[in-house]
Amino acid sequence: MMRFTSILTLAATAAITLTALQFSAPAKADAFAEADEAVKYRQGAFSLIRENFGHMAGMVRGEIEFDAESFQKRAEALKHLSYIPFDGFSGAGAGITDGSDALPGIWENWDDFNDKAEAFKEAAHELARASEDASLRELRPKFMAAARTCQQCHDEYRAD
Amino acid sequence: MVIKLWDGFIRGFHWLLVVVLAGLWYTGGSVDYLEINDTVIEFVDVHHKLGLIMLALILTRIIWGVVGSQPARFSTFLKGPKAIIGYIKSPFSKEHLTHNPGGGIIVVIMLAMLLAQAITGLFSDDAIFFRGPLASTVSNDVVRLLTSYHKQAFDFILAIIALHIVAIFVYLLMKKNLISPMITGKKAITSSATEALKQRHGGYGFILLAVNLIWIFWWLG
Repeated sequence: MMRFTSILTLAATAAITLTALQFSAPAKADAFAEADEAVKYRQGAFSLIRENFGHMAGMVRGEIEFDAESFQKRAEALKHLSYIPFDGFSGAGAGITDGSDALPGIWENWDDFNDKAEAFKEAAHELARASEDASLRELRPKFMAAARTCQQCHDEYRAD
Repeated sequence: MVIKLWDGFIRGFHWLLVVVLAGLWYTGGSVDYLEINDTVIEFVDVHHKLGLIMLALILTRIIWGVVGSQPARFSTFLKGPKAIIGYIKSPFSKEHLTHNPGGGIIVVIMLAMLLAQAITGLFSDDAIFFRGPLASTVSNDVVRLLTSYHKQAFDFILAIIALHIVAIFVYLLMKKNLISPMITGKKAITSSATEALKQRHGGYGFILLAVNLIWIFWWLG
């Protein structure tokens, strides 16, 4: 009898443990996966931003010949991309700095971070608007203003 | 007695380095540009070019420190720990013709720091629109590491420059003028029986500098 009870207890414990594991393990893995995805998401967005930005920079710096149409295409892309990365800093990506250059200050000074993000979006819009009918000479200050919004945020919130 | 201390190359090197460093400081980490008439000058491009000039200056100074005029040679002013400690204990007790034992070690640290600064700059990436000419030859992690070093080491370089300037003024207060020898090349000394320091014409140093500038700009410009 004694033996039967202990076997029963053992079996029950094992069952509960297994069930608990079954439920908790995937949940935990998901949380990790989501954070990881959020980091990948914002990094992917920044990488696209840099790619488009870099192409315009080449024209602004005279490394690539200025082509109004191509510049406008890039500026338009940048305008749309300017919204994308910031979703990766809230939700599952909130507070996540692992495998990332994001500094914890982002979430400590959330309002300031958002102000800087807004400044970037505005500058990107301004640049896209100007690219519709401006010369390289007129575009340059707008491009540099956008570049400065990148830098102002990096100085505070991106690891050196 | 007045002796010839610093040859023309050393003086030219020193003051060119001052100008180049000031320019590097001003243009470093700044997203800005100048527009003169119709020519646009991006700060980051100026920083890149000045960095190459500095690399040429430092490399030439290192070579000159082996083959140049005697006062400029490492073998002349690099002293052992005993001499350095002795100097720190009483900095003004002895007259030093060239760099004193403390200054000598600072010269080497400074040259090494500036060399490292120039080299890491070549591998750096500002994440906005500048990528050093050698950044694509190494992995992204290495680029990040070297960029981070490049940004942070500059404060240390500023600290050494500050120490150097303070030391010059302390010597000035002690009635020892180290500035005019760096301008005229000549130094008045009190000790009489000193062996004449062998000089090499500074022009050779400038030829060496020109050669270094050519291959550096050709390769990394």
